[in-house]
Amino acid sequence: MALVDPDFAAELKAYGVDTALDCFNCGTCAAICPLNFEHFPRKMIRYVQVGAKQKILQQAQDLWRCLHCGLCTRTCPRQANPGELILGLRRYVLAQFRRA
Amino acid sequence: MFNPTDIIDLLAANVRQTRNPFGVRPSRFNTWWRGLSGFTRRPGDALLFTGLMYQAIPYINATTRYLERLEGSSWAGCLRWGRLVPASLRGRGLSVLTSGADRKKFNGILQTICRLLRQSEVNFFYHPEMDFYSGILLYDLGDQDGFVRHARFVARTLQLHGVRKVITVDPHTTYALKELYPRYTGASFEVQPYFSLLQCRGSERGNGKPPVVLHDPCFYGRYLELSEGPRRVLRDLGLEYVEVRNCGEFTSCCGGPAESVSPALNREILGRRAAELKAAAAPVVTFCPICLANLLKAGLPVEDLASLVGRYLAPEEK
Ligand code: SF4
Ligand code: SF4
Repeated sequence: MALVDPDFAAELKAYGVDTALDCFNCGTCAAICPLNFEHFPRKMIRYVQVGAKQKILQQAQDLWRCLHCGLCTRTCPRQANPGELILGLRRYVLAQFRRA
Repeated sequence: MFNPTDIIDLLAANVRQTRNPFGVRPSRFNTWWRGLSGFTRRPGDALLFTGLMYQAIPYINATTRYLERLEGSSWAGCLRWGRLVPASLRGRGLSVLTSGADRKKFNGILQTICRLLRQSEVNFFYHPEMDFYSGILLYDLGDQDGFVRHARFVARTLQLHGVRKVITVDPHTTYALKELYPRYTGASFEVQPYFSLLQCRGSERGNGKPPVVLHDPCFYGRYLELSEGPRRVLRDLGLEYVEVRNCGEFTSCCGGPAESVSPALNREILGRRAAELKAAAAPVVTFCPICLANLLKAGLPVEDLASLVGRYLAPEEK
């Protein structure tokens, strides 16, 4: 069971993650992503939407697989900026690790 | 895959101590300009700002060879202790591992760019003390504070020297200076990649030569939408090129960005892009030092745009 933090999306704004709620989970980003890896990056964006902060922290290492290639951002039909969201999540996770 | 924070902490410590991610004194590895004729420090209209990326490739290659052996082994965790060693010592150790052939090759590309700019009568100058690493890797890896601190230092130094226009030679530095510096340091420069300044009209020297295939780097293709610039140069020179399906805005990544955290992932992505380019059955041309080094690793016949154009427009002075 995963705990949900309803304020997670708001907390992430300070790290430049402010378009997660625009995503409607179509999966275009995961289909085009060259990593071809477990619904990445859509899965991470979904975690943000539902406030699954622990899931993000548990799977944090996967965020650094992203190549910052921008293909997902270029093709997202909602301009949700998935590539930049992943970058913002890295900033957030790094700040948490450094604080710990 | 390495623990990203171990890698980031190591790179950030190097940038803090030596202003570049390798822990090497800039005077040790930024040497391409020494002995170059017609070299001018000032006056000039625009600063040639290499961002030290071409110079860095021998160090990146040496690091990757080392990381490849370490990844997945029981020693991988030891990386975290690397930051406790002074940057100067880390850098000196790394310098020993770099290949002289690599240094000559990548320094040579910068020298060619310099000749091409002169040949096109571009009013520019170069000053090694004003040429810095942009900090882009820290940004890409999520170390926002480290990036902003370094970027502010670079921007302030350039402003103190009255620099307003810069000429860049690689997509990562171009993106940093054009998009990130104004956003995170408040400093704006007029940034132009070198190829957009080349004058090749009336010099159709490539006619009849076999075509090349282009590999667009992600940052030029998508983030900056500058893919047309190199194509214009090739057309003006009468050089034919072919396109692969994934090109321009939709170019495929070569895997280079994964190198620092997972050489294995880098190999996987590189293999796929190399297969796409191989299918075109022509020599590959690219315009990014990271892509160039990576595609060379895949064993493809590949060269930098500057090397190709230089052969026609500004052959080396004997
Ligand atoms: S492509 Fe855009 S809208 Fe679709 S899942 Fe990815 S981020 Fe969400
Ligand atoms: S930017 Fe990252 S998440 Fe998006 S397509 Fe590229 S590798 Fe995948």
